[in-house]
Amino acid sequence: MSEPLRVHVGERTHAGHAVDLCGDDVAAAAVVRAVRAERADSSVRVDCPTPGDAHAHVARLPPETFDRRAALAAAARALGHTSSSQSALADAQAELASLSPPAVDIEAARRRVAEAGAEEVRLRERVAELRGRLQARQEVGAETTAVEAQLREATSELAERETERIAAEQALDQAEAAARAARDDRDRRLELEDRVANLERQVRHDLASAVWPTFRSAVDAVPGTATTGDSPGSYDGPQSTAALAVARLAPLDAPVVVTEQAGVDHEQAATTLGAPVIYVG
Amino acid sequence: MLLVVTYSRAARTTLRNVCRAHESTVTRALGRAALFEETELGAFLALRLRAKHGGDVQVERTEPFNEFETVSEGVREAAEAYEDRETPSTPYAKFAAGTDHPDPEAMRDADL
Repeated sequence: MSEPLRVHVGERTHAGHAVDLCGDDVAAAAVVRAVRAERADSSVRVDCPTPGDAHAHVARLPPETFDRRAALAAAARALGHTSSSQSALADAQAELASLSPPAVDIEAARRRVAEAGAEEVRLRERVAELRGRLQARQEVGAETTAVEAQLREATSELAERETERIAAEQALDQAEAAARAARDDRDRRLELEDRVANLERQVRHDLASAVWPTFRSAVDAVPGTATTGDSPGSYDGPQSTAALAVARLAPLDAPVVVTEQAGVDHEQAATTLGAPVIYVG
Repeated sequence: MLLVVTYSRAARTTLRNVCRAHESTVTRALGRAALFEETELGAFLALRLRAKHGGDVQVERTEPFNEFETVSEGVREAAEAYEDRETPSTPYAKFAAGTDHPDPEAMRDADL
């Protein structure tokens, strides 16, 4: 074990590999933050090595949430295990990070087509109506100059709108072609995302397999009832037991914060877990 | 119907959730794509997906395919005949050469 741990609560200082804070009325969460050196203004201060990735999973026992596979993988890594898929994963992640598929933005083009089309329909109706009115006036021999002028204006506006609608449709076609190319890139990105996810699973599985026998004996050594099978990942029991077992197998320099709910006696906690312990009761 | 295609893991996950929650509006779920009923609710769901995932969601409007309305008899017969060919390894271009069946290049350029 490394150098003894020092915990400062207000004016008091505790030292040792298993520090009991039951009499100090401090919250587990505050101590966990102090271990992570997250909040300097707290009344609790812990002098200890910087916690590693495995510690993050078992900083508090029992943990509030626990991802067994991720915790096992982190513990395996801390023990020096690797996966043969690690470099493929790093490559895929790097390639994924380097991708920046172009934007697919054809909303403006769609809106322009819709608006141009609606305006054209309105004008077409207006022209038909004016033609009807002109014809009716001609039949009764009424004055037609005003209607003729309106019709000329509407007809010319309609022609403009037709041109605009055609231009809008062409612009939409072009935008759609560009969107297709952008979607090809996004397809490639999705394939890579899936590849990264599969490789991450594979790496986690390899790492969990590497420590599975150790994990099984750790489960037997810690308090709690859980059953494990031969194949990595086959675990049936409470997550608190799995967390205790991971804490036991992981090489932890920073202290874990143990509460009463962990079901482990504060004097035995450090021995059982093989790690520095702060017991908060 | 409305064809919704997703282009990221996040968008695909949302689409799956939508499909699970709206079985009566989702005509067919096809993994990263789905067909929605052509109703306001179908459109609403598609637009919601697009609002959430932007360019990672493509929405198209589909029509039922009636080959008797839109495809010439020659093309229909060629498809049947080719599937009935005696030598499975014969490519279509070779199969069609010297027959009345349409040439693949000609079909490529002929819009429906």
